Amino acid sequence: MIETDVVVVGGGGAGLRAAIAACEQDPSVRVALVSKVVPMRSHTVAAEGGAAAVVRDDDSLDNHFDDTVSGGDWLCDQDVVEYFVSHCTEEMIRLEQWGCPWSRKADGNVNVRFFGGMKVQRTWFAADRSGFHILHTLFQTSLRYPRIARYDEFFCADLIVEDGRARGVLALVIATGEPVLIVGGSVVLCTGGAGRVYRQNTNAGTVTGDGMGLAYRHGVPLRDMEFVQWHPTTLPGSGILITEGCRGEGAILVNRDGYRYLQDYGLGPVDPWPRVKAMELGPRDRLSQAFWHEREKGRTIETAQGAAVLLDVRHLGKAKILERLPLITEVARTFAGVDAVTAPIPVCPSVHYTMGGIQTDVHCETPVAGLFAAGECSSVGLHGANRLGSNSLAELVVFGAVAGRNAALRARELPRSGIASAERRAEATAAPLLGMLNREKGERLAPLREAMQNAMEEGVGIYRRASTLDVACTKLAELAERYRRGIALDDRSRAFNTEWLTAIELGYMLDVAQAMAHSARARTESRGAHVRLDGFEARDDARFLKHSLARHRGDSSPLIEFAPVTITRSPPRTRTYGGAGVKAEMT
Amino acid sequence: MDASRTIRIECLRYDPETDAAPRYQAYDVPFTDDMSVLQGLQYIKDHVDGSLTFRWSCRMAVCGSCGMMVNGTPSLSCETFLRDFHPAGLRVEPLTHFPIVRDLVIDQSDFLRKLEMVKPYIIPADSKTPAAGTHLQTPRQMDEYYQYAQCINCLLCYAACPQYGLTPSFIGPGALALLHRYNADSRDDGRAQRMEVVNAEEGVWSCTLVGYCSEVCPKGVDPARAVNQNKINSTKDYFLHWLMPRPGVSR
Amino acid sequence: MKANSTYVRPMGAWWRRNAFYRSYMVREASALFVTLYAVVLLVGLLRLAQGPAAYDAWRASLATPVSIAFHVVVLLLVAYHAWTWIAVMPKTMPFVRIGGRRISDRTIVAFGAAASIVAQLACLALLAWLGWTR
Repeated sequence: MIETDVVVVGGGGAGLRAAIAACEQDPSVRVALVSKVVPMRSHTVAAEGGAAAVVRDDDSLDNHFDDTVSGGDWLCDQDVVEYFVSHCTEEMIRLEQWGCPWSRKADGNVNVRFFGGMKVQRTWFAADRSGFHILHTLFQTSLRYPRIARYDEFFCADLIVEDGRARGVLALVIATGEPVLIVGGSVVLCTGGAGRVYRQNTNAGTVTGDGMGLAYRHGVPLRDMEFVQWHPTTLPGSGILITEGCRGEGAILVNRDGYRYLQDYGLGPVDPWPRVKAMELGPRDRLSQAFWHEREKGRTIETAQGAAVLLDVRHLGKAKILERLPLITEVARTFAGVDAVTAPIPVCPSVHYTMGGIQTDVHCETPVAGLFAAGECSSVGLHGANRLGSNSLAELVVFGAVAGRNAALRARELPRSGIASAERRAEATAAPLLGMLNREKGERLAPLREAMQNAMEEGVGIYRRASTLDVACTKLAELAERYRRGIALDDRSRAFNTEWLTAIELGYMLDVAQAMAHSARARTESRGAHVRLDGFEARDDARFLKHSLARHRGDSSPLIEFAPVTITRSPPRTRTYGGAGVKAEMT
Repeated sequence: MDASRTIRIECLRYDPETDAAPRYQAYDVPFTDDMSVLQGLQYIKDHVDGSLTFRWSCRMAVCGSCGMMVNGTPSLSCETFLRDFHPAGLRVEPLTHFPIVRDLVIDQSDFLRKLEMVKPYIIPADSKTPAAGTHLQTPRQMDEYYQYAQCINCLLCYAACPQYGLTPSFIGPGALALLHRYNADSRDDGRAQRMEVVNAEEGVWSCTLVGYCSEVCPKGVDPARAVNQNKINSTKDYFLHWLMPRPGVSR
Repeated sequence: MKANSTYVRPMGAWWRRNAFYRSYMVREASALFVTLYAVVLLVGLLRLAQGPAAYDAWRASLATPVSIAFHVVVLLLVAYHAWTWIAVMPKTMPFVRIGGRRISDRTIVAFGAAASIVAQLACLALLAWLGWTR
């Protein structure tokens, strides 16, 4: 058993920032950083475009606030957004002081660029490898703190909750399969999103909703799960991300006729170009929805991996492409055989981000005392119905720090009760997990996982209908039942058994997928990334200016409830992009 | 899968619970032109043999998880393609010079230890709070360290380096490249604190400039340059220290 | 916590594993030939100190077919050895910039090779002027 003070689960941007913040809050606090991968492998590493923070003289916190709230289609908790926008700049400066190689202007100051849905340039970027640089900066900086004890390749299999308080986690040492109890005074979940429940996604293999599943099973609601973001520009087939930063630099999207189709979907007119929040600088949900319509109309091109449109950066010129977009140039060449300097890149939407997640308040604490969550796994109330690009990397450091500080305070203030019951509970939890290794008969893992992913793609896709959602909910219930009856593994070893861990992850994914599908079914309106074609095409503030809350009910389907949204200074308006707008000066 | 071609992938297998030594197992995998070696391994794991074990994550050559030997060359399996090995087939093994934990999975802990030893973080001249604002750093100043900051810690350079294989205490190309990345960053003032690692026998002086590390690096970091450039710095430091002993600076 | 036994693979004849290692070993081995030639020159120096007869005998031994064949091989390998030092020059230097632009590694090597050739021609010219054929 390992004793500590703050247990951080997940070693990505949020987890590392939380661990550092806990140490700075209280130098006597011990932190256990528990991650199923070595931290620099965390999915933060793949983020490309940048992190938002107000820095220009012609920008303001109010602008960032307004862009975020309208981007979220007014489902954001505005007190949370206020806190967020007023702390982004400080965090970006801190990252710079810690060594993050933000791209610079000629005079040595940090440069910022446009991003979708933003009125003024405020996206800090490190070429198009921003997440990579932020993660490595945080990881390498975390090495300065001797009170952060790292438990790399420890897989979190359960939360330990005693007397309504989070006390720690039960982890499996991946190299040996050995269960180990890690106990402390508070737990911070920074386990990332759940995009892998869909077949076509930009995500790494690790993004399986582990923390969401764990918190959910312990009675914490999953909030706003129906809001799933499709990133509009990813490679067909693999789903590999082509950053929004391309569009921030002036890239255009055309269909098979060479036509900039976004003008047909409320994001035009085309000229004058470029304009803020218009055409290709519109928000992600609108762009992905536009693709869906183009495909229905037969105006997309057909590639070997499916339908696509064309993202064209050629007019930016070779020098600018290689300076600002080196990663996607490499990615387009390696994985699509396309030279971005001389040819347009075929792209289509793929699932990218989960706006919803573990319900927390503005202090990042869940309804379970001592249990915190930050980053993509959480729903702190920032993104509402649709996330703006570059708000997520900023969220990691702003709320990672909040969660870490508060977790350190909680660990000290809440009394430590006896460990004995935690140990007994851990043993009871570990037994069936270890039992999975000995199961003789059962389903094969991959077909079950693929069936879930297909059900989500077909039933809970970009556009939803009651009929398709019902099919998905029924199918997921069936798959969950088949999962409970048991998976038979090929791999019986306890040494680095990734098939076993994938099977445990599938359990989390099935729970999360059901929360997503049922929440989507219950929200009979269209808002942000949740759009319907069955008579509920409009936003309905009277009935649905509310967060959805999915509650776990064991083997039966989740209970969906609704909770109010905190509105402070921005009453809901019509969400508009395009129009006459303001000219965008590319920097 | 609509694939009319198959390719044979021979994988090293090793389970510490049952095997005294590694063995090889071959699989025939149907493939299409766009499939990577990683996708081939995933096909085997999903549909043929769930016990085949390997690390992977991002699938786009930025997380550094999927390093392995493909036909004896250190490679990232996600950006190595099956079509380049057809029809002869390919052999996949864990990265050389590392202990094998299971199948294609190696023990990374030595690298993580070495990474910590080089103090890979900004050691500023005086500590700043965010209120002081960002440092100024021109594109020219950034160019001094930028390529070394592209390291994804994939460990291909360690698999390439015979000196690391022969002398496991060698700090190694990747960690030394990160050491240099921070020394070369205009915001850092920690060069003196990192000198001990540079000067040690296991520091730059274990390198004989084989140069294969820079050849296999998927990100153009050029660790060979980072290490060998510092031989001059180490030599200067040695003579300066001999001429003008500095109290408090450890050798 | 228990730890499983990991398997450590022996290095074995690692230099045979690929073309890069093999050419590295040839590069390193070429140093032996530089040493050998140094020995030949040292012997010559010794013979010079022992007087004209010894020196002339040594000169004569150099002119034998075996010796000439040996010297051709040594010349090639010493030239190769010198070339490998020039080839790794960029790896030993910080970035060189002219007018703000970085000089590529290939340019540095080309410059080194050119400088080496110029230096050798200058040496030959000097020797010719000193009448080495005398």
